[in-house]
Amino acid sequence: MTVAAALLVTAGLTGLLAPRQLLRLVARGADPLVPLLAWLASTVSVVTTAALAMTLLLLPDHGSHVLAGAHECWSSLEHGMAPSVEAVGGAVGLALVVGLLVRLAVVSVRGARRRARRRRDHLAVLRVTARREPGSPPTLWLDHDEPLAFSLAGTPGVVVATEGLHRRLTREQVEAVLAHERAHLNGRHHLLVAASDALSTVLPFLPLFRRAPGVVRELVELAADAAAVRTCGVETVRAALLGVSGSGTPGSALAMGRDSVQVRLDLLARPRRRPDSARSLLAYGAACTTAMVVPSVTAFVGLLALIVVACP
Amino acid sequence: MHGLGELEAAVMDVLWRAPEPMKVRDVLEGLDTGKQLAYTTVLTVLDNLHRKGWVQRELVGKAYQYEATTSRAEAAANALRELLNSSGDPDGVLLHFARSASEHETELLRKALPRRSRKK
Repeated sequence: MTVAAALLVTAGLTGLLAPRQLLRLVARGADPLVPLLAWLASTVSVVTTAALAMTLLLLPDHGSHVLAGAHECWSSLEHGMAPSVEAVGGAVGLALVVGLLVRLAVVSVRGARRRARRRRDHLAVLRVTARREPGSPPTLWLDHDEPLAFSLAGTPGVVVATEGLHRRLTREQVEAVLAHERAHLNGRHHLLVAASDALSTVLPFLPLFRRAPGVVRELVELAADAAAVRTCGVETVRAALLGVSGSGTPGSALAMGRDSVQVRLDLLARPRRRPDSARSLLAYGAACTTAMVVPSVTAFVGLLALIVVACP
Repeated sequence: MHGLGELEAAVMDVLWRAPEPMKVRDVLEGLDTGKQLAYTTVLTVLDNLHRKGWVQRELVGKAYQYEATTSRAEAAANALRELLNSSGDPDGVLLHFARSASEHETELLRKALPRRSRKK
């Protein structure tokens, strides 16, 4: 009972507190992929921790063998509820978690179908109107004066760009824009965005889930910027971003875009250590592992502390 | 060149470059696909394009003459409008280079940035 409660509490706390910490990590100039991965791992971890708590309630000895060494203290701490109450609670909770997971699967599949349909429609139009420049991924050029660039999800995805880019930007800056879009495709960023959308639809309870769509959208932009910086240099990426965003696309959507671009420019202006791949991989692994184990470890450490305090 | 899609694009390219409406045979001659295409193939492609609204046709004498319904630039602008309308979508099919759909999260990030770099 107590273990389960502790796990639930830490899962809830993670869902509440993790967002701020992760955003702080971004602001400190960390590789944007680290908080991005940590965010997604945290969502998985919160769900599994909650599921673990429910499962423990259902176990005959409530998992207390884990703390066998502190058994006597344990029994004194355990203000007993009738086992049947716990079992029922566990069953209901577990059913709830399973139900949510099933709904997550349904929402994801439905979203994937909708995206595939929309992608087909876009491609049908683009195939006729755009000039195709082969490559991996290919680039589709539209004859339009505004400098715009998108990446369209899929396997393989495509980069869509307008000739206006060539008119407003230097060749290197255009290359930076394309590198940014290719980074979206290579990093499967569309999938991450879709996953965070599905999560927030199904689990809107905690900030960790609710904010995921917006935060993931911001973070994948930062990650793509970082990738573009690696191939084209900070100054080129900055200039490209300014050139594209400063060119007066009308509408309220732009005001938001401008805000976001300003943050990206601020972050690009900050000195950043050039990441080497081994260290990056280590950081990504550490981020995921930490996010996965923090709730459980905190729960058990909290319980041990409680035992030490309560039974000296 | 392979596939009907690429052929459609090639045919539209010919029509967009032509100053006036073209007969099927003119389109066939204007196509530079690297291999000889059958008259009926081009006819089928033009038929498809007509059905999809990309070209309009007019009976002149015994044969249809085809022309694009919009200029290339208009078609590009229309395609972009369609893309942009869905880029604020919840689906995340598209990621736009300089636009983001989340004012709130940008604000969170901005607040997390140290004051020094927030000065404009």
